[in-house]
Amino acid sequence: MDLKAIAIVVSYIILAPVAGGLLAGIDRVISARMQARRGPPLLQPFYDVFKLFNKENLVVRRSQNFYIWFFLAFVIFTGALFFSGGDLLLVIFALTLSGMFFVLAGYKASSPYSFVASQRELIQMMAYEPMVLLCAVGMYMVTRSFYVSDIAFSHKPLIIYLPALFAGFVYILAIKLRKSPFDLSLSHHAHQELVQGMTTEFSGRALAMIEIAHWYENVFILGFVYLFVANNPLAGLAVVSAIYFFMILVDNTFARMKCRFALESSWAMALVLGLGNILVLFFIKR
Amino acid sequence: MPFLKKSPWILHYDGSSCNGCDIEVVACLTPLYDVERLGVVNTGNPKHADIFLITGSVNEQNRQVIHNLYEQMPDPKVVVAVGICAASGGIFSDCYNILGGANKVIPVDVFVPGCAARPEAIIDGVIASLQVLEDKRARLAAMSAGKEEFIVETAAVSDSAEILALQKLAYTNEAELYNDFSLSPLRQTLDELREDFETMTFLKAVMNGKIVGSVRAFALGDTCFVWRLIIHPLYEGLGIAQRLMDEIENRFTCHRFEAFTGTKTKRKIFFFQRRGYRIFASEQVSEKRGRVYLEKVRKAETNV
Repeated sequence: MDLKAIAIVVSYIILAPVAGGLLAGIDRVISARMQARRGPPLLQPFYDVFKLFNKENLVVRRSQNFYIWFFLAFVIFTGALFFSGGDLLLVIFALTLSGMFFVLAGYKASSPYSFVASQRELIQMMAYEPMVLLCAVGMYMVTRSFYVSDIAFSHKPLIIYLPALFAGFVYILAIKLRKSPFDLSLSHHAHQELVQGMTTEFSGRALAMIEIAHWYENVFILGFVYLFVANNPLAGLAVVSAIYFFMILVDNTFARMKCRFALESSWAMALVLGLGNILVLFFIKR
Repeated sequence: MPFLKKSPWILHYDGSSCNGCDIEVVACLTPLYDVERLGVVNTGNPKHADIFLITGSVNEQNRQVIHNLYEQMPDPKVVVAVGICAASGGIFSDCYNILGGANKVIPVDVFVPGCAARPEAIIDGVIASLQVLEDKRARLAAMSAGKEEFIVETAAVSDSAEILALQKLAYTNEAELYNDFSLSPLRQTLDELREDFETMTFLKAVMNGKIVGSVRAFALGDTCFVWRLIIHPLYEGLGIAQRLMDEIENRFTCHRFEAFTGTKTKRKIFFFQRRGYRIFASEQVSEKRGRVYLEKVRKAETNV
């Protein structure tokens, strides 16, 4: 690993939570405006997390926080690998592993609420995983490399080659960003069904760590979106902002769907849009 | 750090409310009042909450629920009782199943008056509770940093078992002094002590999460009766008793304070005398032991 990669990793570890927190703040302000409310201050997510560090850390079992440490560590690892230009497949597997630790933490708390939410989270992971993998395959077919650095600097407008894959990725983005209609296992909107999903039994520092892990995760996911338009940084930023705004709009427009629908529709998307795009690409590039 | 004041997460529980106050609580979330601009989130999960907002009176069915919710909230936490029912039972206070206000089960920090309480009043109450929350955080931080050794606060019914154990421990010394183990504090049962919570204010001194001292008091007319000032034998001489008595004399606005203790407990008598109490009566309770009654009359000018 060269010096540049190390610099990127260090700046990612420091700057990603700042960016993620601001994104969460923007999300809350825009959501409030969409509901004709004034909304919290932009820095509210930071206030919340700093407050949580001042709270008592109640646990059902001590080991539940152990899994949260691993969840956070692997989310950071995923992002660091991605932004330093690592192997996209490894990035996806690391992301899955971090998700698994979060699910284990939910199961470990052995509360009926977090239990149901953990099962839903597993189904959600099943739902989005094929689409994410097909995205990696599509990117490989265009750039002939699985390395993020090669894909990002390939100077090929991936979104032109992979429009259907991009649309499919945006579809599963609602699952990954935990937005309606697919915020089944954990919702950021207060006071909804299933109390607070997998975070039901977490409080204080552990809850703050989950929140920070989400910030890292969101920055990574938006980075993944950026990859589709990486040939033009300005357009890339515009697309990422537009997609984020679109997700907030969808979040405020849709009611929550059932778990089964999330799974079936995402697999249908993966099959039609993902596989379709790859097939078309395969015949064109032959 | 002031972050606690900037992000109060609320747990709202409807006791036996008529839903009047609940509608007003929900109104606070609507675009007209939008409490989220103050960082308020209605969590619905006690483990995430900082403020326990309770509407309606406590009844036999939900006393355990309220108690559980309170216990599940992480420290520091505050309780805001919204509406007259949560304060005293309101118009339902005479019903056979109603125990009274929220303070019958858990210690309440802020009472919001009204029937139903206006959204403005509820928001004011929440804002007032933020200062209490910050004070509690500061005290907890001081204690964990070793600057403050113990915390004096209102005890809840949930503390009964621990207080009873401490009471038996503390009074064993006195019983040995008289060689008489029939002292009423030693014979009190848990249910009896729980009943005392209905009529008395209990204070507890907490050190590292353990109750090391307690006192109970109640007002009758213009007199405040101070009962059972107990300190864990290993934690004597730390000023715990002084702080408990300070707190009692602060809280009760009575003109006269009355306490009693055994004739042979010279240290306790000396303690009260140093606080300005004087012996006004003594009585032989049984062959083995006697009691002295002490009183302190507050000067008129100190009565605010």
